[in-house]
Amino acid sequence: MNDFLAVANSAFMYLVAGTVILAVVAMSTVFMIRAYREGIRLGIDKKKLQKAMTSSAAFTAVPSISILLGVLALAGKLGVPIPWLRLSVVGALQYESVAAQMAATGLGVPFTLESMNESAFVGIIFVMTIGIVWGGLFCIFGLKKYQSRITGKPGKKDARWGQLMFTAMFIGMVCAFVGAAFSDLRGYGDKDATFLSLAVMIISSASMAAFTYLVKNRGIKWLENFSLSFSMIIGMTFAVILKLAGVR
Amino acid sequence: MTERTKAENEKEFIERLHRQGRIWCSACILLMLAAPVAIGLRLNAWPSIGGVAKGVFSVCIIYIPVCIVEVITYSPLLGTGASYLAFITGNLSNLKIPCAMNAHEIVGVEFGTVENEIVSTLSVAVSSLVTCAVLALGVMLIAPLGPLLSSKFLQPAFNTILPALFGAMGFTYFSKAPKAAIAPAAFMTALCLIIPAAGGQVGFLIPLGAAIAIIWTRFLYVRKKLGSVG
Repeated sequence: MNDFLAVANSAFMYLVAGTVILAVVAMSTVFMIRAYREGIRLGIDKKKLQKAMTSSAAFTAVPSISILLGVLALAGKLGVPIPWLRLSVVGALQYESVAAQMAATGLGVPFTLESMNESAFVGIIFVMTIGIVWGGLFCIFGLKKYQSRITGKPGKKDARWGQLMFTAMFIGMVCAFVGAAFSDLRGYGDKDATFLSLAVMIISSASMAAFTYLVKNRGIKWLENFSLSFSMIIGMTFAVILKLAGVR
Repeated sequence: MTERTKAENEKEFIERLHRQGRIWCSACILLMLAAPVAIGLRLNAWPSIGGVAKGVFSVCIIYIPVCIVEVITYSPLLGTGASYLAFITGNLSNLKIPCAMNAHEIVGVEFGTVENEIVSTLSVAVSSLVTCAVLALGVMLIAPLGPLLSSKFLQPAFNTILPALFGAMGFTYFSKAPKAAIAPAAFMTALCLIIPAAGGQVGFLIPLGAAIAIIWTRFLYVRKKLGSVG
Protein backbone atom coordinates (compact mmCIF):
# COMPACT_ATOMS: atom_id res chain seq x y z
CA MET A 1 0.00 0.00 0.00
CA ASN A 2 1.11 3.54 -0.70
CA ASP A 3 2.77 5.06 2.45
CA PHE A 4 0.29 7.90 2.60
CA LEU A 5 -2.70 5.55 2.31
CA ALA A 6 -1.28 3.45 5.17
CA VAL A 7 -1.39 6.57 7.35
CA ALA A 8 -4.81 7.65 6.07
CA ASN A 9 -6.20 4.18 6.79
CA SER A 10 -4.51 3.76 10.16
CA ALA A 11 -6.33 2.74 13.33
CA PHE A 12 -5.94 6.28 14.70
CA MET A 13 -7.92 7.71 11.77
CA TYR A 14 -10.67 5.17 12.38
CA LEU A 15 -10.67 6.16 16.06
CA VAL A 16 -11.04 9.88 15.22
CA ALA A 17 -13.76 9.23 12.62
CA GLY A 18 -15.57 6.74 14.86
CA THR A 19 -15.59 9.16 17.83
CA VAL A 20 -17.22 11.97 15.86
CA ILE A 21 -19.70 9.60 14.21
CA LEU A 22 -20.61 8.17 17.60
CA ALA A 23 -21.45 11.68 18.81
CA VAL A 24 -23.80 12.10 15.86
CA VAL A 25 -25.35 8.69 16.49
CA ALA A 26 -25.88 9.74 20.13
CA MET A 27 -27.51 13.01 19.03
CA SER A 28 -29.84 11.20 16.62
CA THR A 29 -30.73 8.59 19.26
CA VAL A 30 -31.46 11.22 21.93
CA PHE A 31 -33.63 13.26 19.53
CA MET A 32 -35.45 10.14 18.38
CA ILE A 33 -36.23 8.95 21.92
CA ARG A 34 -37.31 12.39 23.10
CA ALA A 35 -39.52 12.98 20.07
CA TYR A 36 -41.12 9.57 20.54
CA ARG A 37 -41.77 10.16 24.24
CA GLU A 38 -43.11 13.64 23.55
CA GLY A 39 -45.41 12.19 20.89
CA ILE A 40 -46.79 9.69 23.39
CA ARG A 41 -47.13 12.42 26.03
CA LEU A 42 -49.09 14.61 23.61
CA GLY A 43 -51.39 11.72 22.86
CA ILE A 44 -50.24 10.97 19.30
CA ASP A 45 -51.15 7.45 18.22
CA LYS A 46 -48.22 5.06 18.80
CA LYS A 47 -48.91 3.48 15.41
CA LYS A 48 -48.40 6.83 13.70
CA LEU A 49 -45.07 7.33 15.41
CA GLN A 50 -43.93 3.83 14.50
CA LYS A 51 -45.10 4.35 10.93
CA ALA A 52 -42.98 7.50 10.68
CA MET A 53 -39.96 5.52 11.87
CA THR A 54 -40.41 2.41 9.73
CA SER A 55 -41.19 4.40 6.58
CA SER A 56 -38.09 6.54 7.13
CA ALA A 57 -35.87 3.49 7.68
CA ALA A 58 -37.23 1.84 4.53
CA PHE A 59 -36.83 5.06 2.59
CA THR A 60 -33.21 5.67 3.66
CA ALA A 61 -31.70 2.34 2.66
CA VAL A 62 -31.38 2.98 -1.10
CA PRO A 63 -30.03 6.58 -0.98
CA SER A 64 -27.55 5.49 1.73
CA ILE A 65 -25.94 3.09 -0.71
CA SER A 66 -25.25 5.99 -3.05
CA ILE A 67 -23.66 7.88 -0.13
CA LEU A 68 -21.47 4.84 0.46
CA LEU A 69 -20.37 5.20 -3.16
CA GLY A 70 -19.20 8.71 -2.27
CA VAL A 71 -17.01 7.16 0.44
CA LEU A 72 -15.60 4.75 -2.11
CA ALA A 73 -14.98 7.54 -4.60
CA LEU A 74 -12.89 9.53 -2.13
CA ALA A 75 -11.23 6.53 -0.44
CA GLY A 76 -8.66 6.18 -3.21
CA LYS A 77 -7.22 9.62 -2.41
CA LEU A 78 -8.03 10.25 1.27
CA GLY A 79 -8.21 6.72 2.68
CA VAL A 80 -11.45 5.25 4.06
CA PRO A 81 -11.93 6.83 7.54
CA ILE A 82 -12.01 10.52 6.53
CA PRO A 83 -14.53 10.16 3.67
CA TRP A 84 -16.55 7.92 6.03
CA LEU A 85 -16.52 10.71 8.62
CA ARG A 86 -17.23 13.48 6.12
CA LEU A 87 -20.21 11.66 4.60
CA SER A 88 -21.65 10.58 7.96
CA VAL A 89 -21.46 14.01 9.58
CA VAL A 90 -22.78 17.18 7.88
CA GLY A 91 -21.26 16.17 4.57
CA ALA A 92 -23.24 15.78 1.41
CA LEU A 93 -22.58 13.57 -1.55
CA GLN A 94 -22.49 16.55 -3.92
CA TYR A 95 -20.24 18.63 -1.65
CA GLU A 96 -17.38 16.46 -0.49
CA SER A 97 -15.46 15.64 -3.65
CA VAL A 98 -15.78 19.23 -4.92
CA ALA A 99 -14.65 20.60 -1.54
CA ALA A 100 -11.68 18.22 -1.38
CA GLN A 101 -10.66 19.24 -4.88
CA MET A 102 -10.95 22.97 -4.04
CA ALA A 103 -9.07 22.47 -0.78
CA ALA A 104 -6.21 20.74 -2.59
CA THR A 105 -6.07 23.53 -5.17
CA GLY A 106 -6.01 26.15 -2.40
CA LEU A 107 -3.16 24.28 -0.74
CA GLY A 108 -1.31 24.12 -4.04
CA VAL A 109 -1.37 20.31 -4.26
CA PRO A 110 -2.87 18.34 -7.15
CA PHE A 111 -5.71 16.17 -5.83
CA THR A 112 -4.07 12.87 -6.73
CA LEU A 113 -2.83 10.03 -4.57
CA GLU A 114 0.73 10.46 -5.85
CA SER A 115 0.89 14.12 -4.76
CA MET A 116 -0.78 13.63 -1.40
CA ASN A 117 1.31 14.09 1.72
CA GLU A 118 0.49 14.32 5.41
CA SER A 119 0.36 18.11 5.70
CA ALA A 120 -1.79 18.41 2.56
CA PHE A 121 -4.04 15.70 4.02
CA VAL A 122 -4.48 17.61 7.30
CA GLY A 123 -5.05 20.82 5.34
CA ILE A 124 -7.75 19.22 3.19
CA ILE A 125 -9.56 17.92 6.30
CA PHE A 126 -9.40 21.41 7.85
CA VAL A 127 -10.82 23.04 4.73
CA MET A 128 -13.53 20.41 4.22
CA THR A 129 -14.61 20.71 7.87
CA ILE A 130 -14.59 24.52 8.08
CA GLY A 131 -16.37 24.75 4.74
CA ILE A 132 -19.33 22.62 5.80
CA VAL A 133 -20.11 23.69 9.39
CA TRP A 134 -22.03 26.84 8.42
CA GLY A 135 -25.47 25.27 8.23
CA GLY A 136 -25.07 24.00 11.80
CA LEU A 137 -23.75 27.37 12.94
CA PHE A 138 -26.67 29.21 11.35
CA CYS A 139 -29.01 26.83 13.17
CA ILE A 140 -27.31 27.54 16.50
CA PHE A 141 -27.41 31.31 16.11
CA GLY A 142 -30.36 32.03 13.87
CA LEU A 143 -32.86 29.18 13.62
CA LYS A 144 -35.02 30.18 16.58
CA LYS A 145 -35.34 33.76 15.37
CA TYR A 146 -35.97 32.71 11.78
CA GLN A 147 -38.62 30.17 12.71
CA SER A 148 -40.45 32.60 14.95
CA ARG A 149 -40.60 35.02 12.01
CA ILE A 150 -41.83 32.30 9.65
CA THR A 151 -44.48 30.82 11.91
CA GLY A 152 -45.51 34.10 13.61
CA LYS A 153 -48.14 34.14 16.27
CA PRO A 154 -50.46 31.15 16.23
CA GLY A 155 -54.07 31.73 15.32
CA LYS A 156 -53.45 34.79 13.17
CA LYS A 157 -52.44 32.97 10.02
CA ASP A 158 -54.32 31.60 7.08
CA ALA A 159 -53.98 27.89 7.89
CA ARG A 160 -54.79 26.65 4.37
CA TRP A 161 -52.26 28.95 2.79
CA GLY A 162 -49.70 27.77 5.35
CA GLN A 163 -50.13 24.16 4.20
CA LEU A 164 -50.10 25.18 0.53
CA MET A 165 -46.93 27.21 0.95
CA PHE A 166 -45.02 24.21 2.29
CA THR A 167 -46.36 22.00 -0.49
CA ALA A 168 -45.36 24.65 -3.04
CA MET A 169 -41.89 24.90 -1.51
CA PHE A 170 -41.34 21.19 -1.98
CA ILE A 171 -42.83 21.24 -5.47
CA GLY A 172 -40.27 23.94 -6.30
CA MET A 173 -37.51 21.69 -4.99
CA VAL A 174 -38.71 18.76 -7.12
CA CYS A 175 -38.91 21.09 -10.16
CA ALA A 176 -35.23 21.97 -9.69
CA PHE A 177 -34.40 18.29 -10.18
CA VAL A 178 -36.80 18.05 -13.14
CA GLY A 179 -34.83 20.92 -14.68
CA ALA A 180 -31.54 19.14 -13.94
CA ALA A 181 -32.81 16.06 -15.81
CA PHE A 182 -33.51 18.26 -18.84
CA SER A 183 -29.99 19.72 -18.55
CA ASP A 184 -28.65 16.18 -18.82
CA LEU A 185 -30.45 15.84 -22.17
CA ARG A 186 -28.09 18.43 -23.58
CA GLY A 187 -24.99 17.72 -21.49
CA TYR A 188 -22.68 20.36 -20.04
CA GLY A 189 -19.09 20.73 -18.91
CA ASP A 190 -17.48 17.30 -19.02
CA LYS A 191 -20.88 15.61 -18.68
CA ASP A 192 -22.08 13.88 -21.82
CA ALA A 193 -25.67 14.34 -22.99
CA THR A 194 -27.87 11.55 -21.63
CA PHE A 195 -31.51 10.64 -21.82
CA LEU A 196 -31.20 8.33 -18.80
CA SER A 197 -31.94 10.92 -16.09
CA LEU A 198 -35.21 11.98 -17.66
CA ALA A 199 -36.19 8.40 -18.52
CA VAL A 200 -35.55 7.26 -14.93
CA MET A 201 -37.51 10.22 -13.58
CA ILE A 202 -40.51 9.31 -15.76
CA ILE A 203 -40.29 5.58 -14.94
CA SER A 204 -39.99 6.07 -11.17
CA SER A 205 -42.84 8.58 -11.31
CA ALA A 206 -45.03 6.09 -13.20
CA SER A 207 -44.05 3.35 -10.71
CA MET A 208 -45.03 5.60 -7.82
CA ALA A 209 -48.39 6.22 -9.53
CA ALA A 210 -48.92 2.46 -9.82
CA PHE A 211 -47.97 1.84 -6.17
CA THR A 212 -50.21 4.68 -5.01
CA TYR A 213 -53.07 3.09 -6.92
CA LEU A 214 -52.36 -0.30 -5.30
CA VAL A 215 -52.26 1.25 -1.82
CA LYS A 216 -55.29 3.52 -2.16
CA ASN A 217 -57.56 1.59 -4.47
CA ARG A 218 -56.56 -2.02 -3.86
CA GLY A 219 -55.97 -1.71 -0.14
CA ILE A 220 -52.43 -3.12 -0.19
CA LYS A 221 -51.45 -1.05 2.83
CA TRP A 222 -48.08 -2.66 3.55
CA LEU A 223 -46.79 -1.27 0.27
CA GLU A 224 -47.16 2.30 1.53
CA ASN A 225 -43.87 2.32 3.46
CA PHE A 226 -41.96 0.87 0.53
CA SER A 227 -43.60 2.62 -2.45
CA LEU A 228 -40.87 5.21 -2.75
CA SER A 229 -37.95 2.79 -2.36
CA PHE A 230 -39.51 0.32 -4.81
CA SER A 231 -40.20 3.10 -7.33
CA MET A 232 -36.59 4.24 -7.09
CA ILE A 233 -35.27 0.71 -7.51
CA ILE A 234 -37.49 0.18 -10.59
CA GLY A 235 -36.30 3.47 -12.08
CA MET A 236 -32.65 2.69 -11.37
CA THR A 237 -32.99 -0.86 -12.73
CA PHE A 238 -34.34 0.61 -15.95
CA ALA A 239 -31.28 2.87 -16.11
CA VAL A 240 -29.09 -0.26 -16.19
CA ILE A 241 -31.35 -1.95 -18.76
CA LEU A 242 -31.51 1.12 -20.98
CA LYS A 243 -27.75 1.53 -20.81
CA LEU A 244 -27.28 -2.14 -21.76
CA ALA A 245 -29.70 -1.56 -24.64
CA GLY A 246 -27.40 1.18 -25.88
CA VAL A 247 -29.48 4.18 -24.84
CA ARG A 248 -27.22 7.12 -24.02
CA MET B 1 -55.49 18.15 28.81
CA THR B 2 -57.04 21.65 28.47
CA GLU B 3 -56.33 23.68 25.31
CA ARG B 4 -54.24 26.17 27.25
CA THR B 5 -52.15 23.47 28.89
CA LYS B 6 -51.69 21.75 25.56
CA ALA B 7 -50.49 24.97 23.91
CA GLU B 8 -48.14 25.61 26.80
CA ASN B 9 -46.79 22.07 26.60
CA GLU B 10 -46.20 22.45 22.89
CA LYS B 11 -44.41 25.77 23.34
CA GLU B 12 -42.27 24.30 26.08
CA PHE B 13 -41.47 21.31 23.83
CA ILE B 14 -40.28 23.59 21.01
CA GLU B 15 -38.23 25.68 23.45
CA ARG B 16 -36.64 22.52 24.75
CA LEU B 17 -35.84 21.40 21.20
CA HIS B 18 -34.06 24.69 20.52
CA ARG B 19 -32.07 24.39 23.74
CA GLN B 20 -31.10 20.77 23.13
CA GLY B 21 -30.47 21.41 19.44
CA ARG B 22 -28.07 24.24 20.20
CA ILE B 23 -26.18 22.21 22.81
CA TRP B 24 -25.87 19.12 20.60
CA CYS B 25 -25.02 21.10 17.46
CA SER B 26 -22.32 23.05 19.33
CA ALA B 27 -20.84 19.86 20.78
CA CYS B 28 -20.82 18.09 17.41
CA ILE B 29 -19.29 21.07 15.58
CA LEU B 30 -16.56 21.40 18.21
CA LEU B 31 -15.84 17.71 17.94
CA MET B 32 -15.72 17.94 14.15
CA LEU B 33 -13.28 20.83 14.31
CA ALA B 34 -11.19 18.91 16.84
CA ALA B 35 -10.73 16.04 14.35
CA PRO B 36 -8.22 17.79 12.01
CA VAL B 37 -6.41 19.23 15.04
CA ALA B 38 -6.07 15.75 16.56
CA ILE B 39 -4.87 14.32 13.24
CA GLY B 40 -2.38 17.17 12.81
CA LEU B 41 -1.01 16.60 16.32
CA ARG B 42 -0.77 12.86 15.81
CA LEU B 43 1.01 13.14 12.44
CA ASN B 44 2.88 16.26 13.50
CA ALA B 45 2.04 17.60 10.08
CA TRP B 46 0.65 21.10 9.63
CA PRO B 47 -0.36 22.75 6.40
CA SER B 48 0.55 26.38 5.76
CA ILE B 49 -1.99 28.79 7.25
CA GLY B 50 -2.04 30.69 3.98
CA GLY B 51 -2.84 27.52 2.03
CA VAL B 52 -5.67 26.56 4.40
CA ALA B 53 -7.03 30.14 4.32
CA LYS B 54 -6.99 30.06 0.52
CA GLY B 55 -8.78 26.70 0.48
CA VAL B 56 -11.31 27.80 3.12
CA PHE B 57 -11.97 31.00 1.17
CA SER B 58 -12.57 29.20 -2.12
CA VAL B 59 -14.89 26.65 -0.49
CA CYS B 60 -16.73 29.15 1.75
CA ILE B 61 -17.39 31.67 -0.99
CA ILE B 62 -19.59 29.03 -2.60
CA TYR B 63 -20.88 27.11 0.37
CA ILE B 64 -21.77 29.88 2.85
CA PRO B 65 -24.47 31.27 0.52
CA VAL B 66 -25.62 27.69 -0.15
CA CYS B 67 -25.82 27.00 3.60
CA ILE B 68 -27.80 30.20 4.26
CA VAL B 69 -30.21 29.37 1.45
CA GLU B 70 -30.51 25.78 2.71
CA VAL B 71 -31.42 26.92 6.23
CA ILE B 72 -33.97 29.39 4.84
CA THR B 73 -35.49 26.88 2.43
CA TYR B 74 -35.35 23.63 4.37
CA SER B 75 -35.89 24.55 8.01
CA PRO B 76 -39.57 25.51 7.52
CA LEU B 77 -40.13 22.10 5.90
CA LEU B 78 -38.25 20.23 8.61
CA GLY B 79 -39.32 21.98 11.78
CA THR B 80 -37.12 22.66 14.80
CA GLY B 81 -35.68 19.37 16.05
CA ALA B 82 -35.21 17.91 12.58
CA SER B 83 -33.43 21.08 11.38
CA TYR B 84 -30.78 20.88 14.10
CA LEU B 85 -30.34 17.18 13.39
CA ALA B 86 -30.33 17.46 9.61
CA PHE B 87 -27.80 20.30 9.50
CA ILE B 88 -25.43 18.18 11.60
CA THR B 89 -26.02 14.87 9.85
CA GLY B 90 -25.99 16.35 6.32
CA ASN B 91 -27.21 14.96 3.00
CA LEU B 92 -30.24 17.25 3.07
CA SER B 93 -31.58 17.55 -0.46
CA ASN B 94 -30.69 14.01 -1.49
CA LEU B 95 -31.97 12.29 1.65
CA LYS B 96 -33.23 14.08 4.77
CA ILE B 97 -35.75 16.45 3.17
CA PRO B 98 -37.38 13.83 0.91
CA CYS B 99 -37.35 11.38 3.82
CA ALA B 100 -39.11 13.81 6.17
CA MET B 101 -41.58 14.77 3.43
CA ASN B 102 -42.29 11.10 2.75
CA ALA B 103 -42.98 10.43 6.45
CA HIS B 104 -45.16 13.56 6.60
CA GLU B 105 -47.14 12.26 3.64
CA ILE B 106 -47.46 8.66 4.88
CA VAL B 107 -48.41 9.56 8.45
CA GLY B 108 -50.66 12.36 7.27
CA VAL B 109 -49.78 15.34 9.46
CA GLU B 110 -50.09 19.07 8.80
CA PHE B 111 -47.12 21.41 8.49
CA GLY B 112 -46.52 23.73 11.39
CA THR B 113 -48.14 21.42 13.94
CA VAL B 114 -46.39 19.70 16.84
CA GLU B 115 -47.39 16.35 15.29
CA ASN B 116 -45.41 17.28 12.18
CA GLU B 117 -42.53 18.43 14.35
CA ILE B 118 -42.42 15.04 16.05
CA VAL B 119 -42.84 13.01 12.86
CA SER B 120 -40.17 15.08 11.14
CA THR B 121 -37.70 14.70 14.03
CA LEU B 122 -38.34 10.95 14.22
CA SER B 123 -37.91 10.65 10.46
CA VAL B 124 -34.60 12.54 10.27
CA ALA B 125 -33.23 10.78 13.38
CA VAL B 126 -34.07 7.31 12.05
CA SER B 127 -32.73 8.25 8.62
CA SER B 128 -29.44 9.43 10.15
CA LEU B 129 -29.10 6.25 12.18
CA VAL B 130 -29.80 4.05 9.16
CA THR B 131 -27.29 5.99 7.04
CA CYS B 132 -24.65 5.68 9.78
CA ALA B 133 -25.35 1.94 10.01
CA VAL B 134 -25.20 1.44 6.22
CA LEU B 135 -21.96 3.43 5.97
CA ALA B 136 -20.38 1.61 8.93
CA LEU B 137 -21.35 -1.73 7.42
CA GLY B 138 -20.10 -0.62 4.02
CA VAL B 139 -16.78 0.51 5.49
CA MET B 140 -16.38 -2.84 7.24
CA LEU B 141 -17.18 -4.71 4.03
CA ILE B 142 -15.36 -2.32 1.74
CA ALA B 143 -13.08 -5.01 0.31
CA PRO B 144 -15.82 -7.29 -1.06
CA LEU B 145 -18.38 -4.52 -1.70
CA GLY B 146 -16.08 -1.97 -3.32
CA PRO B 147 -15.66 -3.65 -6.70
CA LEU B 148 -19.36 -4.51 -6.91
CA LEU B 149 -20.61 -1.01 -6.08
CA SER B 150 -18.13 0.68 -8.37
CA SER B 151 -18.67 -1.79 -11.24
CA LYS B 152 -19.38 -0.23 -14.61
CA PHE B 153 -22.50 -2.36 -14.92
CA LEU B 154 -24.21 -0.68 -11.93
CA GLN B 155 -23.02 2.87 -12.60
CA PRO B 156 -26.14 3.95 -14.57
CA ALA B 157 -28.25 2.97 -11.54
CA PHE B 158 -26.19 4.98 -9.06
CA ASN B 159 -25.84 7.92 -11.45
CA THR B 160 -29.62 8.23 -11.63
CA ILE B 161 -30.47 7.95 -7.95
CA LEU B 162 -31.61 11.58 -7.67
CA PRO B 163 -33.84 11.51 -10.78
CA ALA B 164 -35.33 8.25 -9.40
CA LEU B 165 -35.94 9.82 -5.99
CA PHE B 166 -37.43 13.07 -7.25
CA GLY B 167 -39.39 11.37 -10.03
CA ALA B 168 -41.20 9.27 -7.43
CA MET B 169 -41.64 12.16 -4.99
CA GLY B 170 -42.65 14.39 -7.90
CA PHE B 171 -45.64 12.20 -8.64
CA THR B 172 -46.83 12.44 -5.03
CA TYR B 173 -46.60 16.22 -4.86
CA PHE B 174 -47.51 17.12 -8.44
CA SER B 175 -50.65 15.01 -8.18
CA LYS B 176 -51.55 16.84 -4.95
CA ALA B 177 -51.44 20.25 -6.61
CA PRO B 178 -50.88 19.87 -10.37
CA LYS B 179 -51.66 23.52 -11.13
CA ALA B 180 -49.08 24.67 -8.58
CA ALA B 181 -46.39 22.72 -10.45
CA ILE B 182 -47.02 24.25 -13.89
CA ALA B 183 -45.01 27.48 -13.59
CA PRO B 184 -41.98 26.19 -11.65
CA ALA B 185 -41.72 23.05 -13.82
CA ALA B 186 -42.01 25.07 -17.04
CA PHE B 187 -39.51 27.66 -15.83
CA MET B 188 -36.94 25.11 -14.67
CA THR B 189 -37.30 23.03 -17.84
CA ALA B 190 -36.86 26.08 -20.07
CA LEU B 191 -33.94 27.41 -18.03
CA CYS B 192 -32.08 24.10 -18.04
CA LEU B 193 -32.70 23.50 -21.75
CA ILE B 194 -31.45 26.97 -22.64
CA ILE B 195 -28.55 26.99 -20.17
CA PRO B 196 -27.69 23.30 -19.56
CA ALA B 197 -24.91 24.18 -17.08
CA ALA B 198 -27.65 25.41 -14.70
CA GLY B 199 -28.42 21.72 -14.05
CA GLY B 200 -25.07 21.40 -12.33
CA GLN B 201 -26.04 24.08 -9.80
CA VAL B 202 -29.00 22.38 -8.15
CA GLY B 203 -28.08 24.09 -4.87
CA PHE B 204 -29.07 27.39 -6.47
CA LEU B 205 -31.95 26.00 -8.53
CA ILE B 206 -33.77 24.70 -5.42
CA PRO B 207 -34.39 28.08 -3.71
CA LEU B 208 -35.20 29.62 -7.10
CA GLY B 209 -37.72 26.84 -7.83
CA ALA B 210 -39.18 27.16 -4.34
CA ALA B 211 -39.57 30.94 -4.70
CA ILE B 212 -41.27 30.62 -8.12
CA ALA B 213 -43.54 27.84 -6.83
CA ILE B 214 -44.60 29.89 -3.78
CA ILE B 215 -45.30 33.05 -5.80
CA TRP B 216 -47.22 31.08 -8.45
CA THR B 217 -49.21 29.10 -5.88
CA ARG B 218 -50.05 32.31 -4.02
CA PHE B 219 -51.23 33.83 -7.30
CA LEU B 220 -53.51 30.83 -7.95
CA TYR B 221 -54.67 30.72 -4.34
CA VAL B 222 -55.65 34.40 -4.21
CA ARG B 223 -57.59 33.98 -7.46
CA LYS B 224 -59.21 30.80 -6.12
CA LYS B 225 -57.86 28.78 -9.07
CA LEU B 226 -56.30 25.94 -7.11
CA GLY B 227 -59.37 23.89 -6.34
CA SER B 228 -59.05 21.29 -3.64
CA VAL B 229 -55.47 20.35 -2.86
CA GLY B 230 -54.35 17.25 -1.23
